[in-house]
Amino acid sequence: MAQQEFTIQRYNPDTDESYEESFTVDVQPGQTVLDSLNAIKWEQDGTLSFRMSCRHAICGSCAMKVNGQSMLSCQTQVDAAAERGDPIHVGPQGNQHVIKDLVVDVEKFLHQFERAETWLEPYEDQEPPEKEYRQNVEEFDHWSHASTCIHCGACYSDCTVAAVDENFLGPAALAKAYRFVMDSRDAKRDERLKFLAEEEGGIWDCTRCYMCVQACPKDVLPMDAIMELRTLAIEAGHTNNHGTRHHKGFTSGVRKRGRLDEMMLPVQSVGIGRLLTGNIGAHKEMMDYTPGAIRLLKSRKLLTIAQRHGANAEGREQIERIFDEVEAEKHHHNVDADAFGAEFETALGGH
Amino acid sequence: MSKYAFWPGCVARGAAPELYTSTLAVAEHLGMDLVELEAAACTGAGIISDGEPYLQDVLNARTMAMSEQMDLPLMDICSTCVGVHRLAAEKFREVDYRIRINHHLAPEGLEYRGTADPRHLLWILLEDVGIDKINSLVKKPLDELNLGPFYGCYLVRPERTLDFDENPTRRNSLEQLIEILGATTVTYDGMTKCCGFPILTTNKKNSLTMAGTHLDEAQSKGADALVTPCPLCHLNLDAQQPDAAKVIDRNLNLPILHVPQLLGLAMGLAPEKLGLTRHVVDTNRLLNKIGA
Repeated sequence: MAQQEFTIQRYNPDTDESYEESFTVDVQPGQTVLDSLNAIKWEQDGTLSFRMSCRHAICGSCAMKVNGQSMLSCQTQVDAAAERGDPIHVGPQGNQHVIKDLVVDVEKFLHQFERAETWLEPYEDQEPPEKEYRQNVEEFDHWSHASTCIHCGACYSDCTVAAVDENFLGPAALAKAYRFVMDSRDAKRDERLKFLAEEEGGIWDCTRCYMCVQACPKDVLPMDAIMELRTLAIEAGHTNNHGTRHHKGFTSGVRKRGRLDEMMLPVQSVGIGRLLTGNIGAHKEMMDYTPGAIRLLKSRKLLTIAQRHGANAEGREQIERIFDEVEAEKHHHNVDADAFGAEFETALGGH
Repeated sequence: MSKYAFWPGCVARGAAPELYTSTLAVAEHLGMDLVELEAAACTGAGIISDGEPYLQDVLNARTMAMSEQMDLPLMDICSTCVGVHRLAAEKFREVDYRIRINHHLAPEGLEYRGTADPRHLLWILLEDVGIDKINSLVKKPLDELNLGPFYGCYLVRPERTLDFDENPTRRNSLEQLIEILGATTVTYDGMTKCCGFPILTTNKKNSLTMAGTHLDEAQSKGADALVTPCPLCHLNLDAQQPDAAKVIDRNLNLPILHVPQLLGLAMGLAPEKLGLTRHVVDTNRLLNKIGA
């Protein structure tokens, strides 16, 4: 039988002491990190505190940091963990208040679901169905990944935005919101998209760092859901925000010269319309760019930015062609979708 | 001579010109022949795909198809470019999607076949050039330096697209390069986190709090400089450093090196040739320390 050393991050609320403590555990092939924590608790130190329940990666209780990344300890084998760091470091989830040892207060995490109102809002003018509200298989297949969340908090724990901003809705609540946006039984799709696009701490605050995708034990792909919400919000016309302006400015720059236009992008993100209409906030935002621009000037970087390097002429021509083709295809697709929508509504008896 | 299809990305040809010049200088020294993809488009960096995911995919299929047509391995010098290229390649494994995308490439005689394997210069240094060759070219070991790695998200996540299992050196590629060159790695929590750059224009406070926190952590752990394979990270960590210091209310003075600059210094190339005079955070103290 092999032995494995663990370094456990502990916290004693009675004395307000944080410290690391080492334990060595006998391990058998296939043994999990959670098995090992239990062995420590039962055989070495009964005061070690952690949450657990099902031991089958379905209840979501035992998410914690193993060698710096959040995961379910019941789903993580000791051998695999040791490959990423030996001794294996075990700590509580991040971005949340630690109550004791590996136990965190999940209130802040759960509150985000309430903010995003992640429950079904059925159509009020519709007679409730005889049995259950049904969702067709094709539609469900598209967003089923987002419905598999077990609320373990691993994504929120590792989220780089939640680390600096308590107000961020976070990957799990946003993925759940996506799940209801996509659900054809839900009546509040547009209200949801508006809220998610305009709320401080909404979809545009995500950095696309992929921490949540990496941490999620259920392949919910929260970041992918957030990115799709951005596209849906733009399509639904909820565009009066920095994120959309940044996207549109960036994309139009690439259309023109095939490359990012660093010269124009700040102005476009602030919003040329906002600037022209004398929006004070917008002008202040532009002023905020000044010290940075002066620094770039001093380091002679503004020179190369102002040269606005682009793809060569041949490339630009092709890139523009592709932009036009994709635009035309999208229009074609929308016409199809509208026709399909009308047909669908007729079939439903309209609403 | 090893030959590569070279995609410099936008920032190396704009706000981080020192990355471009140092890449060329180092490549010449290593005997790498770089054929720049001058007709290629920006990867979209995840920003085009915010509203136009399909458009972004087509642009990236096109770039990868160019390298396939030239029958050359594709080299990126930006963590974000590598990540976006590889994420696109993953989507194109679906045959129907690949066929649809290829309709847009056919008019210019291109076809994305799915053989391109976009890699970062950092990976290529370890996988193709090799430790022995690098060692043989080191003239000025960087023994005096304590260096913090700063990866940039897309060179470490999502792991499923990065083939870490087949290429285990990728998992800690920066630490390896730092140590091959004789320097000491400073490890810190922020080294694989987000620099904040993607949200600089949408949420400046959050963005600079991220940059500032990581810089402060690395500096307090004794780093003389950070090294990054991502020019977008470089923008937030170097050009924005004075503002980041204000946001977190700390004194920050930490030079940020691009990967080829670090290698170039160790190979004895002149700091001017590596663009080290074009940084916002002054690199002189660092250069004095190694007598460059």
